[in-house]
Order: sequence, then C-alpha cells, then structure tokens
Amino acid sequence: MGYFGLVLANLRRNQLRSLLTGGAIALAVLLVCILLTMPAGLDALLNRIASNTRISVVNKAGLVYPMPYAFARKFRALPGVEDAMAQVWFGGAFEQAGRVTFPNFAVEADRVESVYPDWNISPQGLADFRRYRDGAIVGRGTMRKYGWKVGDRITLRSTVWPADLDLRIVAELASDRAQILWLNWEYLAQALKAKGRSLGIAGIVWVRVKDPKDVNSVMLRIQELTHNSEAETSTQTEKSFFSSFFGSLEGFVTILMIVTALVSLCIVFIAGNTASMAVRERAGEIAVLKAIGFRRSAIFSMLVAETVVLSVLAGGVGVGLAALLTRVLREVAAGSEQLGPLGGFIVNQAVMIQGLALSLGIGVVAGLVPAWGAARKPVAQTLREVF
Amino acid sequence: MSEASAAGAAPPLIRLDRVSRWYTRGVDEVHALEDCSLELGSGLFAAFMGPSGSGKSTLLNLISGIDQPSAGDVWVAGQLLGDLSEDELAGWRAQHVGLIFQFFNLVPVLSARDNVALPLLLTDMPRAERLHRAEIALRVVGLEHRIGHSPRTLSGGEQQRVAIARALVSDPDLIVADEPTGDLDARNAEATLGLLRQLKEEFGKTVIMVTHDPRALRFVDQVFHLDKGILLEGDEARRAHDALELAAGGAPLPAPGG
Repeated sequence: MGYFGLVLANLRRNQLRSLLTGGAIALAVLLVCILLTMPAGLDALLNRIASNTRISVVNKAGLVYPMPYAFARKFRALPGVEDAMAQVWFGGAFEQAGRVTFPNFAVEADRVESVYPDWNISPQGLADFRRYRDGAIVGRGTMRKYGWKVGDRITLRSTVWPADLDLRIVAELASDRAQILWLNWEYLAQALKAKGRSLGIAGIVWVRVKDPKDVNSVMLRIQELTHNSEAETSTQTEKSFFSSFFGSLEGFVTILMIVTALVSLCIVFIAGNTASMAVRERAGEIAVLKAIGFRRSAIFSMLVAETVVLSVLAGGVGVGLAALLTRVLREVAAGSEQLGPLGGFIVNQAVMIQGLALSLGIGVVAGLVPAWGAARKPVAQTLREVF
Repeated sequence: MSEASAAGAAPPLIRLDRVSRWYTRGVDEVHALEDCSLELGSGLFAAFMGPSGSGKSTLLNLISGIDQPSAGDVWVAGQLLGDLSEDELAGWRAQHVGLIFQFFNLVPVLSARDNVALPLLLTDMPRAERLHRAEIALRVVGLEHRIGHSPRTLSGGEQQRVAIARALVSDPDLIVADEPTGDLDARNAEATLGLLRQLKEEFGKTVIMVTHDPRALRFVDQVFHLDKGILLEGDEARRAHDALELAAGGAPLPAPGG
C-alpha cells in the first residue's frame, strides 16, 4: 500500500458519508453540465433553424403591419442579394372553423428554392409546388399530426382573407420548423381577385444574401430604400430574428447559471464541512502519523488528496450521467419533432472538461482548510489535545 | 559530535542538559519540566514514573523529538535535536525513534500488516520489501497469523502488539512507549512489557517507557522518578522508589536512576 492506497482506504472509512458527499457533488456537477450545454444548445438550435445569410424584413411598426408587395421586387434588385421571397399570413383553419392549428403562409413559389436552399426540399416537390397552383408544402410535424401524405388534398378556410382554398400537398418539409404550411402566392392572389380583392401586401420578405459578409450592407440598403416610405422596415438576420424569441430564455439560463454557481459554492461548504469532520474524528491517527515521522506536507497532501479524489470521482459520475442524460434526450428527440431541438443539448468535450474542472476545484477548496489546519499544528500540541 | 564522544568515552544514547519545558495554558504558564539533566546509555530499558502532571510525557516527547525544550539541550544518538526544524525532526523521528502510545491509534481501515508498514512509506523502499519487513515485525510480536486482520477484529493486547511492531519495523535506535499498558488488562499488560523487554534483550534496542504501572518495574533496568516537573535524585528518588516497592508487594526492583 502506498500513499494513494492510504488515501483510498481513508475514503472507505465511512462509506455512507463518502457516498452522500460524493452524491451531492455528482448532482451539482450533473446540474452544471446540463446547464453548460444550454448556450451551445441554443446556438446549435438557432444554427439548425436559422441562417445568417437570410434576412427578414418586416414593417418597422410591427409584425402585424404589412408592407407593399412591391418591396420584394425592389429588394431583389439590390446588389449582393441572391433573391427575395414575400410571404403573407393566410391564417387557414383546418377542420375546426376559425381555429388556426398550425402556421400557414402564402409564399412566392418560384422563389422558395433560391431563398431556402438549405431546407433540403425535394427537387420534385419544389417543381410540383411551382407547377401546381394549388400545391402546398407542409411541415413534417403537421403531416404527422393529421396523418397527411404527399398527394393528399386538404381545404383551409382563411381567418384573414375571404378565401377557402383546396390544396394539394406536393412536398414535405423535413425541417425543425416543421409545423409550417406554405401555399402558392398566385393561388391566393387569384382567389382574392375573383372576389374583387387584391393581394398587394406582404407580411415578411425573406431576403437571401449571396455572401455572409455583405449581410450588414444589404440590411442597411434595405432600410435606406424603405426610409420615408409608407412602410419603413426593420431588418434582422434570420438567426437574430429567431434568437429574439430565445432572448428571454438566455436570460433565464444566466439566472440558472448564477444559481448553479451558488449551489456549487454550497457544495464546497458541505464537502469542506464533511472533510473537517473527518479530520476531527481522525485527530488521534493524524497525531500518530505526524509523531512517527510523516511531514506536514505529506499530511496536508494526503488530506487534500482525499477530498480531491472523492470529488473528481463524483464529478466523473456527474459528467457521465449528464452525457448519458443528454444522449438519451437526443435519441428521444430524434424521433419527435416537438422534442427535436433538445437534441442540440450535448455534453461535449469542453463541457466534460469544465465539469471535471469544477469537481477538482470543489475537492481542492473543500480540502484546503481542514488539511492546512491539521498539518500546520505542531505534533506535540496535537498529541496533548488528543491524548 | 557530542562532548562525550569528543572526550573519547562511549557516548550516551540520550543526554539531557538542564532541560526545561514550559508553555502557556490560557493565562497560566505551566512549568511541565524544570532543569532536568540525565544521561542514558544504549541498550537500556528505562522507565519514567511519577504521578499525573509530573512531566513524564513531556520528558518523553522531548527525548523522542516530538517537542522542543524551552531551555536546555536534548541530544539523542549524537544529534542535538534543537538544531532541527519541525520537518527535519519528523524525518529524524522516522529514522531513529519507534513510538508506542497508550491508545494504539492504528488506522482502522488498514490491515495489521499495512499498519505496521506505515512508517516505511517514508522511505524509498519498494512495496514488496515494505510488506516483507512488516511481516517480519509482526512475527517478532507473535502476530504472524493476524497479518491480514483489521484492527477492529483484534483484541486490545493484539492491537498494542501491532503498534509495537509498527514501532519496530523501521529498525530505530530508540523505542519510546507512553503508558503502553495503560489500556490493557493484567495479562496483556504483562505480555506487552515482556515484549518490550524482548526488544531490548534480543534486538539490543533502547526502550524508554513512561508508566504508572508498578508491574513494569520487574521488566526494566532503570527507573527514574519525576514529581511536579522535577527529576528526583538522591533521597527523594530513594523514597519514591521505596513507595513503589511497597506497591509492588515488596519484590526487589531495579535501582532508581537520577
């Protein structure tokens, strides 16, 4: 048996106490690791659902205020713009009148491919969407929810426009925004025209920029273009457009991280208190070890090593559990559109290192004070106090 | 080099020169030992006796390098202990002193063999050699059949024998025992004292013991009496010795030292 064997033997001395202390540390590390996955997970989620080269243009007054449809054409002409697609809220209800159960928009069918090349819509689906005036592209979640399949026909009754449209599903959106339904802009325009109305407005215009580095200049040009017009606009990249939805969540994560830091601090105090108790209980043995020749540095190192080994082992368990938990979550999320975004919360190598570093820190800080107290006391004084 | 060796005579293993030890307890200054001088040759089994608070353990701590005197010099095996720092003293103790305590203080989570091998951790000896030596030490104290047992499964007498093996394992010049029979029944106390005597007889060790136990007097070569921090000499020592003889039932006892 060497020094390390002695450290391990001492950890086995009171197994229940070691187990409970280790459990508390493991739980804290597990919690911290899960929370550490959140910023990266949210970022991954944004990266999955949003693009940095796609810009949303909305009325500066708010999302519910429309813009002239002609803006889309003007944006297309701007330098650096690949294409632009107008979309307008259709607000169609399926089955239950007046109740919109999934988001549905009219979009410019011949612009979808160039504005959303990253959505991997099947070429056949895109071609059919352009070809069939009544074509619709539907998100996977909604397809599953209603048991639809490509080729099915459905009817949506608009809650906004005086139009009930019969639609033919031509493609499925295998995207995380898989609740959405797109119908052909021209189809809605003609339906409205038949009722003496025109579709001269757009709710959002999605502009795709050729080069990411031109995003800011294009956004500036769009704002200049619409400045002092009947509908001044506000622009955001798609990523920031969606991240604004997550903004409050990030604040929540920050609060959670602060709480977690405090929890970690509590764990340090708990582990430190446990270490102090252990040192007090073994005062006689420590005195004898010093008397038979163990130097202060050896006593100090062994006592700190005990808390460090316990803490790092517990931290390893915490990190492992966190990795397992997120892995299970990913597996579950892979089969569910609703839980899909949770698949982005991954305990990667950086999180593992941070978790283990935290457990190492807890071990060192918790062991420092009692070990120093036990080591620095002169051996004669220790023996007098104990015997 | 000590003065004695410089003069050409066989140097005493232990020499205390006007040693005092005092310390503060709260607002009081406690004089645990006053102006104590003595010399002890090697290969002796000596006992320090006296009532509680007489300074026996303080003297033992000074001789074993656990404590430092407030005044005076302590020489052991030619080393002036006052020259050593706390850490140097720890290293010196590991090499030269085997310690035995009243309450054994074995590490409960280690086997008897691992407990005995503990002092050898301080050496650069390979593990196999450490364990081999521990087994030999346990054989010397008659516990070779209890090598793998934990202290919890050993009797008080056996635990004290493990502690003696631990004191012996590093082959020190000096074995120091503080009330080694204080927590033992009569039979185990006799066995322990016999074992300490055996260390002196068979291995030539110098054994210094602090004890209240009059039985111990039958095993030792020399007895020193302390009272109120003073090492008794002359008539005072003789009177203390006579009182002990009476307590021991009138059996002839070794001559008083001091």
